[in-house]
Amino acid sequence: MKLSQCVPGKTYRVKNIDLPEALAKRLEVLGMIENTPISVYNRKGRGILIVYVRGTRLALGVNITENITVEGGDN
Amino acid sequence: MSMTIGFIGNPNCGKTTLFNAYTGANLKVANWPGVTVERTEGTITRNGEEIRLVDLPGTYSLTSYTMEEQVARNFIMSEEADVIIDVVDASVLERNLYLTLQLLELGKPVVVALNMMDIVKKRGAEIDMHRLPEMLGCPVIPISARKRTGLSILMHAAEHHKDAQVHDPLIHEHAYDSGHRHDHHAEFAMVYSDEIEDKIDVIMDALSEKYPDIENPRWHAIKLLEQDGEVCRNYPVDLPDVLDRSYESDIINQKYDFIQEIIDEVLVKSEKAEALTEKIDGLLTSRIWGVPCFLAIMAVVFILTFAFGDWIKGFMEVGIDSLSSGLSEGLEALGASPVIISLIVDGIVAGVGGILTFLPNIFILFLALALLEDSGYMSRVAYVMEGIMSRLGVSGRAFIPMILGFGCTVPAIMASRTLENVRDRQKIMLVTPFMSCSARLPIYILFSGMFFPDSPALIAFCLYVGGLLTAIIVLAVFHAVDKRRDPGRLLIELPDYKLPGARTVGIYVWEKVKDYLTKAGTTIFIASIILWALMSFGSGGYTSDMTESFAAVIGKALVPFFAPVGLGIWQIAVALIAGISAKEVVVSSCAVLFGIGNINSADGMSEMAGILASLGFGQLNALCLMVFCLLYIPCAATLATIRKEAGSTKWMFIAAGFQLAVAWAVTFIVYRIGLLIV
Repeated sequence: MKLSQCVPGKTYRVKNIDLPEALAKRLEVLGMIENTPISVYNRKGRGILIVYVRGTRLALGVNITENITVEGGDN
Repeated sequence: MSMTIGFIGNPNCGKTTLFNAYTGANLKVANWPGVTVERTEGTITRNGEEIRLVDLPGTYSLTSYTMEEQVARNFIMSEEADVIIDVVDASVLERNLYLTLQLLELGKPVVVALNMMDIVKKRGAEIDMHRLPEMLGCPVIPISARKRTGLSILMHAAEHHKDAQVHDPLIHEHAYDSGHRHDHHAEFAMVYSDEIEDKIDVIMDALSEKYPDIENPRWHAIKLLEQDGEVCRNYPVDLPDVLDRSYESDIINQKYDFIQEIIDEVLVKSEKAEALTEKIDGLLTSRIWGVPCFLAIMAVVFILTFAFGDWIKGFMEVGIDSLSSGLSEGLEALGASPVIISLIVDGIVAGVGGILTFLPNIFILFLALALLEDSGYMSRVAYVMEGIMSRLGVSGRAFIPMILGFGCTVPAIMASRTLENVRDRQKIMLVTPFMSCSARLPIYILFSGMFFPDSPALIAFCLYVGGLLTAIIVLAVFHAVDKRRDPGRLLIELPDYKLPGARTVGIYVWEKVKDYLTKAGTTIFIASIILWALMSFGSGGYTSDMTESFAAVIGKALVPFFAPVGLGIWQIAVALIAGISAKEVVVSSCAVLFGIGNINSADGMSEMAGILASLGFGQLNALCLMVFCLLYIPCAATLATIRKEAGSTKWMFIAAGFQLAVAWAVTFIVYRIGLLIV
């Protein structure tokens, strides 16, 4: 599923990131790569999220979250 | 003998605060990533020895992908740097250690400054200060940059670690048993999988053979595996079998695996630590309450800025008035020529003094903004506004400069540099001047007071909303015609909320106030003198009759341009041209041009309204003037800032021309519609 479809309070695993190179690199050095656990804290609109990745809280726009595929969805 | 220490760390790790604590240099501290773009230095003396401190750009990694990273990396690799102090935010240890591992690979002596330990403790977590240095192989010193503790011991450690040839003991107890022929675990903190280590060995041999003088071949080998642009260019090796693809993701993954190992061993998290941040965010970033909370906070900021600021401003005006009359009398008593008195009193004091009276508003506005920024709220605004802004093709982050534009366009344009997307930055630089800044308020007060005495506040409010709407419409048009369609994407770190530090806020506000004073002392000083000269000299030399001055000649030449928008009076044209030096100058030049003593008094207003009415200038013309002032070419200081931030004079002229075109078009429409109604 897409990260933009995820719901707050659950933890997912990153599967694939399909974004322009510069942005993908930024996410990569923040530790967001394949299999990284990602917890959704907050959500609004069509998938504007506040997520928690490797000790950092990040706000991500829809045009980022809809290009990241994840799996899982544990509490 | 002197030594040089480089300070490096992630954005927002407190590096600049720490740097300031040592040097006392007045640097900007903000919650926005990437503030320290330029190189900043300071010198301190310890035990009679001079130590040079260099503040490196805040960065998450040391690839050569961005300028900042290249600058930091090249400095660390150079002869210049003796020791690197790596400032680590202990409250987000995981992400910060990623940079640390890369630094250790560079081979320079590294001392880790573990900052924000107070926040870690407050949350009830603990860090094993014995185990962490063992695993990293370098000294780790707990400090608090904000509370200024541990600073002396950190500098002490840096001095003594300078010549460290052999690093501290590396003790790893890996769960797995590496069967690799070299056991690197005693040598390097970061050891990769056997596959990668084999490749590193082969590349290192090739590098040492081809480039005998190469320093740290292991690091270069790792960078070749990552297909790092700079290293591939400077140290190419011909090993197609080994370098068959980019191993960057593998290397990142393995670094994070090791970080996970470190975290598991050294960090004891508290179960009950329900962080305050989550509670506050539950309200401030809530789907329903996020926007109302933001509007309420902004309302408080503006009430403070205008109500409280104007109260103090009253005292400033009295002070400048008495300075002006005192100077005038004093100079007359000294027998100075009328030209000199006119230059000083009408030119410099009127111009520069007029700007200085706005200092209280500016001070309060920036104090409020600094508090919002240092507390961690400002980055939440980006999240709250993302929904609306993304529909206009820019990221939610772009709203922050626009909000700042209500205060003063200059710092607002400066704030646009935090936008990562170049297109976003250019768009925001073009629309931010439409946000009605505090300097335009005197114009509204004067003209709505004269021509709309029943509802001056409503007119002023409509102009503020009109400016915001213009900005939004222009953004929407840009978005519709933008063929490249590279939308701004919101990616922003949300730091923990914290109580703003007095020192951090103080330095921030002082920087802004200093900028403002510098502007008054340079740009506005010169503009005032030029304007005074144009109004005081004509083809016949010095004249006290304005109608014979160069200003009148210029104004009359411009009448055909202003007539179609209802502003075809030469005095108004001159006032508008003069207003480019600073928007409030429109008011002061009207006073001078129409020969009105005290333009803000009731008598002065009715006198001027009478003169204007006799020239055929009515309500509609006044409205056109206010709309034109809202939108036309921004002030000189803004133009200079656009030039500096965009790094191009051409771009500055494009911005000015664009602003003028929009102002003319909108005012033309208002005038034509108005003529039909009236």
